[in-house]
Amino acid sequence: MNRYRFLLIALLSLSPIAVRAATIEMHVNGLVCAFCAQGIEKKLRKFPQTADVVVSLEQRLVAVALKDGQDIPDAELRKALTNAGYTVTTIERNDTPIATIRSQVGQAKP
Amino acid sequence: MTRRSCVLAGMLVLAAPGFALAKPIAFADGTTVMLEYGAGTMTEAQVFYAPEFNYSVGGGHVEFDSAISPETVRITYARLNYLVQRWNLESAQANVYAWGGAGGATGNTFAGTQGVVNAGGQADYETRRVYASLKTDLQRSSAFSVRVDTLQLGIAPYEHEYNQIATWFVVQAREYTGGIQHGVESAFLLRFFRGGTWIEAGVTNGGKVQAMAMYNF
Repeated sequence: MNRYRFLLIALLSLSPIAVRAATIEMHVNGLVCAFCAQGIEKKLRKFPQTADVVVSLEQRLVAVALKDGQDIPDAELRKALTNAGYTVTTIERNDTPIATIRSQVGQAKP
Repeated sequence: MTRRSCVLAGMLVLAAPGFALAKPIAFADGTTVMLEYGAGTMTEAQVFYAPEFNYSVGGGHVEFDSAISPETVRITYARLNYLVQRWNLESAQANVYAWGGAGGATGNTFAGTQGVVNAGGQADYETRRVYASLKTDLQRSSAFSVRVDTLQLGIAPYEHEYNQIATWFVVQAREYTGGIQHGVESAFLLRFFRGGTWIEAGVTNGGKVQAMAMYNF
C-alpha cells in the first residue's frame, strides 16, 4: 500500500498540472480608461495559453486565466503589456479561479 | 456644410454605440472611427488603424462652414498619428501626440482642388476622475489656413469600471483661426462611454449643438 501511495505522490509531483498556477495576476500602471483595458484584453487573448482575461481599473489589475497545464513566461507578459503601451509593476501566479477574481472586482462575466 | 450632411452626421452620432478622452491612437491593433459635429462650423469624420500602440494611420474628411462669412471648405486627408511620449503613473496617464498628413480641399472661395497639409498635436492627462486635454490642428493650403485649438477639462462623478458606463462632465473652449469664427467658443458636454464605444453631446455658448461619437475595435 505504501508503495502505491509513494507512486501516486511521485506521479502527481511530476505532473505539470499539479505544479502550475491557474491564474496570473499583474498590476499595471497607466490603467485608467476603458480603452486601456480593451487594448490589454485584446493583446492577452491572443496568447494560445489564455483561457480568460479580467481587467479591473479600480484594482489596476490584469488577471489571465491559463488553460490547463499551460503558462506564459513573465518576459512575454511584460513585452505584451509594454507593446500595448502600459507598465507592468508586478506579476504573481496563484490558483485563484478567474471567476473568484471577477467576483472580487465586481464584474459579471460578459 | 449642407443640410443633408448635417442630418447624416447627426444620425451617425446618435446611432453610434457610444466614446473620457479622445485619442488619435486607441490601442495596438485597434481601429478607431470618430465622428464630430462641431456646432455647425466644423464637421469631421476620421478612421485610424494603429498597428502598434505608438502610431496610427488613416484619414478623414472635415468641413468648415464659416460663422462670419459664406466661406465653406471641405478637406479630405490622409494622416499619421504618433505618440511622442507617454507617462504611465500609478493612477494616471499622460500623453503627448503629434500628427501630420496631406490631402485635397475644395471650397467656395477658390477654384478646383487645392493641396492641403495637415499638422497638429495633443497633450493630455487623465485619471479616472479628472482629465485635461489641449489639442491644436492646422489645415493649410495656398488658398486658406484654418487652425482649431481645443481645450477640454473633464470631471467624472464616479470612478467607472471597465464594464460599466462611464460618465463625464466636460467643459470646452475652442478657437478657430482663418475667418471661421470670431472669439473663443465655449461648450458644456455630457459624455458617456463603455468598453470601446463613446458618445457625447452638449451645447455651446452660442446655443448650438456639439456632438461626437467614437467606436474602437
